[in-house]
This record gives sequence, C-alpha cells and structure tokens, in this order.
Amino acid sequence: MKNVVVLDNGACTLKICRSGETVVRTVPNSIFRSKTERRKSFVSSRIDSCKDFSSLFYVLPFQKGYLLNWDVQRQIWDFIFGKDVLNLKFNETSVIVTEPHFNFASIQESMNEIFFEEYEFNSIIRINASTLASHQYSHDNPEENCCLVVDSGYSFTHIVPYYKNRKIVEAVCRIDVGGKLITNHLKEVISYRQLQVMDETYVMNQVKEDACYISMSFNEEMATCKKKGKENTVLRDYVLPDYTQIKRGYIKPVEESKKPNPKSKTQEQTIRLTVERFTVPEILFHPSDVGISQMGLAEGILHSISKCPEKYRPHLLRNILLIGGNCLFPNFKERLEHDVRELAPDEQEIFIILPPDPTTYACQGGMTWSNSDGIKKHWLSQRDYQEGGQVTCAKYFPDI
Amino acid sequence: MPPGIDSTTTGRRESSRIHDANSRRVLDVATRQRRLNKQLEALEKDNFQEDPLEHLDAPKKKRPKFGIPSDHEDDDTEQQTQPSKKKKRLRGDHFKQRFRKTFAAVLEEERVGLGNSELPNYFTASVPPSKFPARHFCSVCGFLSSYTCVSCGARYCSIKCLGTHQDTRCLKWTV
Repeated sequence: MKNVVVLDNGACTLKICRSGETVVRTVPNSIFRSKTERRKSFVSSRIDSCKDFSSLFYVLPFQKGYLLNWDVQRQIWDFIFGKDVLNLKFNETSVIVTEPHFNFASIQESMNEIFFEEYEFNSIIRINASTLASHQYSHDNPEENCCLVVDSGYSFTHIVPYYKNRKIVEAVCRIDVGGKLITNHLKEVISYRQLQVMDETYVMNQVKEDACYISMSFNEEMATCKKKGKENTVLRDYVLPDYTQIKRGYIKPVEESKKPNPKSKTQEQTIRLTVERFTVPEILFHPSDVGISQMGLAEGILHSISKCPEKYRPHLLRNILLIGGNCLFPNFKERLEHDVRELAPDEQEIFIILPPDPTTYACQGGMTWSNSDGIKKHWLSQRDYQEGGQVTCAKYFPDI
Repeated sequence: MPPGIDSTTTGRRESSRIHDANSRRVLDVATRQRRLNKQLEALEKDNFQEDPLEHLDAPKKKRPKFGIPSDHEDDDTEQQTQPSKKKKRLRGDHFKQRFRKTFAAVLEEERVGLGNSELPNYFTASVPPSKFPARHFCSVCGFLSSYTCVSCGARYCSIKCLGTHQDTRCLKWTV
C-alpha cells in the first residue's frame, strides 16, 4: 500500500491526514506577523510559539477563495511537508489535494507543476473538498445514492448536489458569504459602536466563535435585546485578552456582568454584545442584510435542487450534509432545517446531517476513499505527467 | 434642486429650514451603490492595519544617495553582492512573476476564455438575488429600522440614532 496524504487546502486552515493515522491535523494556512516580535514571521503552526496575538497580521495565500499568492503557499507547504511536521518522502508519497469549485485553469496548471516538478510527488489527485465529503457520506450510508453537500467555509459557501459521488455541475451554487466576511462584519460593527477593534482579526474571530449563534426566532430575540436588566437574556459581556494577565478572551458569567465588579479590575477591557451575537452570523441566511444581493442558505439550497433532475430532488432533500467551519455556530443545523422546511414542498421529507467535526469531515473522506478500489483509476502518476504534461492533467481531473 | 442655484436667491426672505434642506447634498443612486460596493470590498479584506514588518525593510532599499564618496563605495559593494543575491532568489522570483496574478486578472482571463460558452462556470454558479425583500437594520444601533437617511441612504431607527449617524458617518468616508 502506498503512502497517502490527504491535504484539504483551505483558505484559512490546512487539514492534513496521512495513511495509518486516525487523527486529522488542522493548521493555519497563513503566515503571521506580530506587532511585538519584529523581524519575525510565524509560518503556519509556528504561531503557537507567539505569546501576543493582538494586532496579528495575516499573510494569506488565498484571495476570495482561490489560491493566488504562490510564494506564500510554498513557504507554508515547505514547512508542513518538511521535517518539522510531516517529513515526507515525496517520491514515495501520493497526495490527494483539494481545490475550490470552478478553480481557474491557470491555478490548476501551477498546482500540477508545483506538485510534480518542484516537490516530485509520486502521484496526485486534485479534487473538490465536497466530493471527498460525499465519498465519506456514501461510505457511511451505502443505501443512499444522492447527497447535497453544503460547504460553508472561510471565503464562501458552496451548495453542491451529488449523484453517486458525481457532482451535478449545472446545479452547483455559490453564496459569497464565508467566515471571513462574518468576522469582518463583527469587527466593523463593534468598532463603530464600542471599541476600535479593526486590527484585531485574531481576537475578534475568537469572539465570534465564543459568543455568536444562529437565532431560531429572529424577531423575538430582537425584542429581547431591547429589554433591560435580567430580562435581556441575550446580553453578554466579553472580556478581551490583554496577553499579560488574560491570555484568552472569554464570556463573563451572566451574574457578574449585570453589576459592576466591586473588586474593580480596572485593566479588564470588555465589550458588550447584544444584537451582534445573532445578527452577525445571520448574514449566512440573509446576505441582503449587509447589501449582498444574493439568496440566503435555505433559499440557495432549494434553488440548487431546482436545477437538478426531478427524480433526484426528494433524495437530495433527505441527505443534506453540512461541512465547513460556519456549521459550528450553535443552532446552525436546527435553523437551516426550519428554513428549508418552510420553503420545500410539504410532502417531502427533509433530513440534515451535521457531522461531529464538520471541518475535517472532507479530509477523513479522502482517507476513506483512498482505501477503496474506486480511487485507483483517478491517480495521476509522475510518469504519466512527464509524458503527457498539462494536457493529461486536464484529462485526468475534469473537475471530478 | 441642485445646490448651486440657491446662490441667486440668497437675498430673498425665506425659511432657513427649506434653505437647509435644499443645500443638503443628496447622493444619487450610482454614488450610493459605489459606497455600498466599497463597504462590501472592505468586508473581504484580510488586514486593516499595516504590515508591521513592511517599514523595517523599506528604508534599506530606498536610502537616498548623495554625492559623498563613502556612499559610492557602498554602491560598489552593493553591485558586487547583487548577482549572488539574485541567484539565491531566482526560484522564488520566478514563482512570483509567473504565477502572481490578482483575482481581477484571473477573473478577466476566465471571462475571455469562456467566450460564449454556456457551460457552468464561476459566474453562473453565483446564486441569484433573493425572492424575499431585504430587511433593514439601523446602521447605528443594529435594531430593525424604518427610516432612511435622505442624504446617503443609510438606515436609522430613531431621532437619536439619526443624530449619531449625521455626526459620525453621513456623507463621510466610511469603511
């Protein structure tokens, strides 16, 4: 058996899994620069050694979800593949690497070139992350032929229907709302209303992950936020980290946040979150809230399904699979179920699956798939590449 | 009425309130759209602050040269070291130049490459606008809003928020 590495190359994090290992590693796909440690860049997981995450500067290889800054990506890959992390023997290793939907031809060519000519991998498969997720899903549920993958990541959200693990290309839909936009919107709103935090991407991303949630009854919670005192069950005070005493921000326990603390810890800096907690991630369901003229998630799902052949539609609605980091918002699945139920025909059954770890599900799928027989014909070997060049690659990976 | 016309009527007695209303600049639809686009672009930014390492390298490269002999000496040594530096960086540079493209350039390439082809692509994959009307939120406090600022089209929910809006954001540069 060959050594296989699955590399889910996301715009924010890399998910890596190698054959024989059961855990998926998640590392940042970014180079960081800190304000306090000048003359030093932190490549990917080296950021763990940084003590001060305030005003962290991000250098990302991706722009709008597509790999464009190759020199940055190369540094990160060099680090990950090298002796610090994986210590790969390239000529004995096969790699399954993910790319976004409708990846551009020039990017695909650069990718082939780098993997075959610079790193000299034994063989590669270039594939969409959602396809790997679909493979995992059909492996776990062999009786189901259809699957609708909702991949809500850092740069955007894709809705991709599959029939027998082949994507129905005409029906692939993209909503230009991702985790980055949500964090940036939260930053913007807090900066205008309370405290200038435009530079604090890292900190505000933690605030988003800790405090934001998807509302189940939007208008009612809006009304709750107008109430004062104990009746306002949404309000939370969030203590920001200062990286001397407080290493990580946290939500103040509810009892403490109502009354000013008698043991005045004056250095402690807090922001007060009310409507922001649920109106900010609400953009996923209503992009028009910030002026993006696109459908929300539930509407987008039905739009995508309406483009599929009619006989698949009931099956797709019954097998909606959620992957990507945004699915980790509390209530995400419940709300989506509620919204899709409202829009879908009454007689049709709806079932949504949220895997325990939606961010690494695709990577695990790649590992599962690499152990099956079906994968064999998809591997493109170094020798075939040397003979056929870019043309062969285009033939091998016709957007599988 | 465009604000310029007012000047001919300044001598006449008139309500100062009407005068104020007339002289207030009102943005047209195109400008409002431009402002919105700018806001949406800002939401896609990776960083708002400057690169903390940027200034450290900059002075070395752009050090002004004066006609002092010691400077020329420096020049010479620089020239001597340059070729070796170049060789070292060759691979990186090759990557930067060959593959470096902005997103706009890649999109343009794709548009040209597609021609009149009807195949599904990046542009057709974008979901269409929603069938449902957009909700409006107060740009100041975030609650549902019922009113629109006459000048710039931002939403507000109460007189208090309108005041804040006019003091801070209205017709000003916002991100």
